[in-house]
Amino acid sequence: MIAKVGSSGSSRLTRFAAATLVALVVTLLFQALFTKAFSARAQESENPLGSNPKVIAEGASQFRINCAFCHGLSAHGGARGPDLTRGVWNHGGSDADIFRTITQGVPGTLMPANDLATAETWEIIMYLRSLSAGSAKGISGDRKAGAEIFFGSGNCSGCHMVNGKGGRVGPDLSRVGAARSPDFLGKKLRDPNQTLAASLTDPNREWPLEYEAVTVVTTDNVTVAGVLRNEDSFSIQLMDLSEGLHSYWKRDLLKVTHQHRTVMPAFGEDILDDLQLRNLVAYLDSLRPRPEEARQ
Amino acid sequence: MKALRFLLGLVLVVAAAHATRAQVTYEQILQAAQHPQDWVTYSGDYSGKRFSPLTRINTTNVSHLFPAWTYQLGLLGKFETTPLEIGGILYFTGPDDHGYAVDARTGRAIWRYERSLPARIPICCGRVNRGFAVLGDRLFMATLDAHVVALDMKTGNVLWDVEAADYRVGYVFTVAPLVVKDKVIVGISGGEYGIRGFIDAYDANSGGRAWRFNTVPGPNEPGNDTWKGDSWTRGGAPAWVTGSFDPELNLLYWGIGNPSPSDDTSERGGDNLYSNSVVALDPDTGALKWHYQFTPGDSHDWDATEVPVLVDMEVNHLPRKLLLQANRNGFMYVLDRTNGEFLSAKAFVHQTWAKEIGADGRPVVLPGSAPTESGTVVCPGAFGATNWMSPSYSPQANLLYVVSREQCDLFTAAPQELHPGHPYVGSTYFKPVGEPSWGALRALDPLTGKLKWEYKFDSTSWAGALSTAGGLVFSGDMEGSMIAFDARLGKVLWHFQTGASIFTAPISFEVDNKQYVVVASGDSLFAFSLSQ
Repeated sequence: MIAKVGSSGSSRLTRFAAATLVALVVTLLFQALFTKAFSARAQESENPLGSNPKVIAEGASQFRINCAFCHGLSAHGGARGPDLTRGVWNHGGSDADIFRTITQGVPGTLMPANDLATAETWEIIMYLRSLSAGSAKGISGDRKAGAEIFFGSGNCSGCHMVNGKGGRVGPDLSRVGAARSPDFLGKKLRDPNQTLAASLTDPNREWPLEYEAVTVVTTDNVTVAGVLRNEDSFSIQLMDLSEGLHSYWKRDLLKVTHQHRTVMPAFGEDILDDLQLRNLVAYLDSLRPRPEEARQ
Repeated sequence: MKALRFLLGLVLVVAAAHATRAQVTYEQILQAAQHPQDWVTYSGDYSGKRFSPLTRINTTNVSHLFPAWTYQLGLLGKFETTPLEIGGILYFTGPDDHGYAVDARTGRAIWRYERSLPARIPICCGRVNRGFAVLGDRLFMATLDAHVVALDMKTGNVLWDVEAADYRVGYVFTVAPLVVKDKVIVGISGGEYGIRGFIDAYDANSGGRAWRFNTVPGPNEPGNDTWKGDSWTRGGAPAWVTGSFDPELNLLYWGIGNPSPSDDTSERGGDNLYSNSVVALDPDTGALKWHYQFTPGDSHDWDATEVPVLVDMEVNHLPRKLLLQANRNGFMYVLDRTNGEFLSAKAFVHQTWAKEIGADGRPVVLPGSAPTESGTVVCPGAFGATNWMSPSYSPQANLLYVVSREQCDLFTAAPQELHPGHPYVGSTYFKPVGEPSWGALRALDPLTGKLKWEYKFDSTSWAGALSTAGGLVFSGDMEGSMIAFDARLGKVLWHFQTGASIFTAPISFEVDNKQYVVVASGDSLFAFSLSQ
């Protein structure tokens, strides 16, 4: 059929064919490039390793070396990093989210970017998945009732702020659910000094001082009790229980006493029964970064 | 015309008289202790004493010390440098292999050097550098991508640049080189990456490699049988802190780091020579003359890289040439540096791993101190009783000053496969709950190790020490204080808040009859002097 077409038509057709060919080549090229780019992305969102005992064991080994320092040997969380065994993921729970969290870190938190090979990262993810398999445990308490305790009968808000409401003597708890496990929070409420020890033994004080109680006596015999904010060999900074800030040269003080305990009171069963504790922990556990913060 | 030439000649002569000298001969480094106006090598002189004979700043006036200037790098990362000072100019390195020449009087920069480094370098503990070495009109720098580089002192221009090893599999340099005769001597870092450690010497003129001493012996070399199977190929034993040198004995002393993997011994067995040892090498050939191993078959990351301090004194009424080392394992050792003979060792921190160091020089290890899968609490911790921060010895006070760390760790061990370029440590360590940690500057009797005085820090310090003939010791702490102590009594005579943790030791020098003490803190170099 083509052979029967006149010469001018033939030339037109050739041009058409050439244009088609160019378009096709360009499309293929684009596709090739796109596929390549896409597969590079896929590497970071699709797990190339299966979940088998060898992968999980290698992941456990990588976890010990790279993650256990903050998240604990068994991934149940430490004084710095959250519990990773609950199936609750603060910064997104898809494979791609966890991959990103591990390799890029989480700005504004202590979670650093980690320089791991792609395979090592996937091994860690598969290890963590094996720990939390099928769990995704919820919290049994009533968070609304917990909030009422926090701002009401428990007077937690006398010292702690949540999203701009509350006191200043203790740490801001607006994101505490993302940083601490329910187990840690429950223990902290019952016995606040039990977890203080972990932070006091840190050689470099890389995580916040856990609000240690100190008392100083000035040369004119005035005693000021409060919460330690900072200290070096020659000076000390503290906040008194009325939220007043003080800074002294130690040479101007008669005495500096470290109480080796936090100013936080213990909430025993006589103050908070088990149900109230569960409710309060459920409320604290719900205090997490807003979704748009978490995705940063 | 003649008159003009005469005038021009006169101008040149006058200009030369005012220009700063920018030449350092080997003889000047040998004589450094007799010419304390300059600071020409890492520890001040070859003996590793970090002692300045200068006296203008002393116990009577140090309370008037104030910052003459600061120089801010504007860089992140730990600033671990020991600057060199030559003829009124300071030469120092910063994080990420930056280099600087700064006028010591004014703090104004003459030139800056910035190495173009790969984005990813496998490195355990920060992209740091501890300083330059100098010979002639050249500065030498060992880089994070495992090169050795010579820079022109007047411009910072690169004169030569040679590759020592492949950084991609964990070989990096953080060390300040040591120049001995016409050679630039460097030790590798990478004990966390299953490297095979070495000490290299390069010709200062050409950059050609003169010799290499492998810190892990290969097959058919003595000591290879202290490694199980092929574990020697990834045995670690880095050499990342500058050594000392005795010109009379012609011996170079260098501390060697931990075997890899640091916590798990199951694959490597044995003593693992020459990890955790001091080696005495012939600086001309790199030949091993003797070695002494402080911690055989180490499983606690206790590198023996601390600066060896060379002193001559009487032991039992006999003059001896000694080598002192306050070791990361918690003991202060006295060795005969002519032959490596062990003389004595005494603990200078709380330690729980050895009953004692036996008369044969081997530790009598206590049961239950080896790391296990679930963990064993051992003191000192993985960062050690002391670390890279320099000790100092004052001949005037006859005391050895050691920045000491009272800290324990829960050590865990587990076998691990080596993936080149990735950490190879065989598990990890934790802060044990309920074990307080703190630091102290300790003044020890150099022969008995007996504590003469101590100053306690709120936390474990990473700053080194400098002693001076002004009767002073300078050190710093994690809270940012730079502190001057009475060298004999330990009393605080002066302190200054620098605003950031200090990760290095100070130096001292004199320009225009004015003595300075200089230390790096945060991202800044601080120069202190008296006001007049």
